[in-house]
Amino acid sequence: DIYQIIHYSFCIWTIRNLRKCKKCQILAPCSQGSCLHTTAQLNTKNWDRKNRIVYPPQQKDEPPRPAEVFHCRRQIKYSKDKMWYLAKLIKGMSIDQALAQLEFSDKKGAIAIKEVLLEAQEMAVKNHNVEFKSNLYVAESFSGKGKYLKRIRYHGRGMFGIMDKVHCHYFVKLVEGTPPVVVQKTPFDQAKEYVEQLRSRTIIHSL
Amino acid sequence: MSLTGFVRFLRQSLQRLESDFIQAVGLDRSLGPALAVNGPSLLPQPNNSSEPSFLDSIFWMAVPKKRRTIEVNRCRRRNPNKMIKVKTNIEPCVQCGNLKLKHTLCGFCYEKIQKETSLIRRQIQNMEGRPLNTPAVETVVLYENETPGEADQGKRIVERSRKRPSWFNL
Repeated sequence: DIYQIIHYSFCIWTIRNLRKCKKCQILAPCSQGSCLHTTAQLNTKNWDRKNRIVYPPQQKDEPPRPAEVFHCRRQIKYSKDKMWYLAKLIKGMSIDQALAQLEFSDKKGAIAIKEVLLEAQEMAVKNHNVEFKSNLYVAESFSGKGKYLKRIRYHGRGMFGIMDKVHCHYFVKLVEGTPPVVVQKTPFDQAKEYVEQLRSRTIIHSL
Repeated sequence: MSLTGFVRFLRQSLQRLESDFIQAVGLDRSLGPALAVNGPSLLPQPNNSSEPSFLDSIFWMAVPKKRRTIEVNRCRRRNPNKMIKVKTNIEPCVQCGNLKLKHTLCGFCYEKIQKETSLIRRQIQNMEGRPLNTPAVETVVLYENETPGEADQGKRIVERSRKRPSWFNL
């Protein structure tokens, strides 16, 4: 019967081409064991593990790899959106400039970030073979959502809302060396690039 | 197509809309009984006098028409006027080397002086005993191995048992 044949061939096709990803329980196309969903197991603190990677010794012709320090602080009592402004402020600055800006910032999160930067600087000098503690710059800095506590907020007329007690994480990566100079792209350059991108399009599969 | 006919049609439709609106709101009086009743209670008026309840007044409140997309939200949140500005008025303190703002006293030096003055104040408190016991004379602070000079004759002396700090000049 034709329907049975179609159903059977469809089953064969799914078994051959789609596989149920073990971690996220979604049918996804994959072949020979490679999975598109390469998320790790639940609740891994990956940022802390990044300090543990050890590179093999470099060859003489390779450019010197600068030292990198990863540090983070979890469950800071502050909003991740407000923390983002501070993280964006110090991104790309040298560590001394970043510490100066945070010292005189009026934000609550600035105290936590300053402590994190000082800890990371100390770690870099002690454990990561950084010679001068001022020779560091903030390569990456961002905030993430921590676990929220939920409380009841009482409104009038017997209504209530669920209030979130927000927490955030803060992550920073310090790299040895002077901070790289970022070339400011003018709007004219951006527009010119866009037009060039449009002009360089071609029609695929044409004669 | 006659223009006058079209205009007449528009006017009629507008009038119909208006009457429908008035009836919906309840301001229309034409649906009550035409007879004049001789009594204390008149025909039921629409209750404009009573306070419109919560559920009635929400019909005329300002409300967002559409959900703000994340792109629009990002444009507002990441606008340069909302970003924190880099401060250019930070400089190192001449005395101690810590950072300070140009128009402000150095925090470290101020802390240091505050500690000493709190000890002096405690000493004065012990000398006075009870509140509101301040004598009506000037006070002078003397450190170890210091004697009151000529100018300090009529003054109250507060003794501190330590060496004179370098920043506390006579």
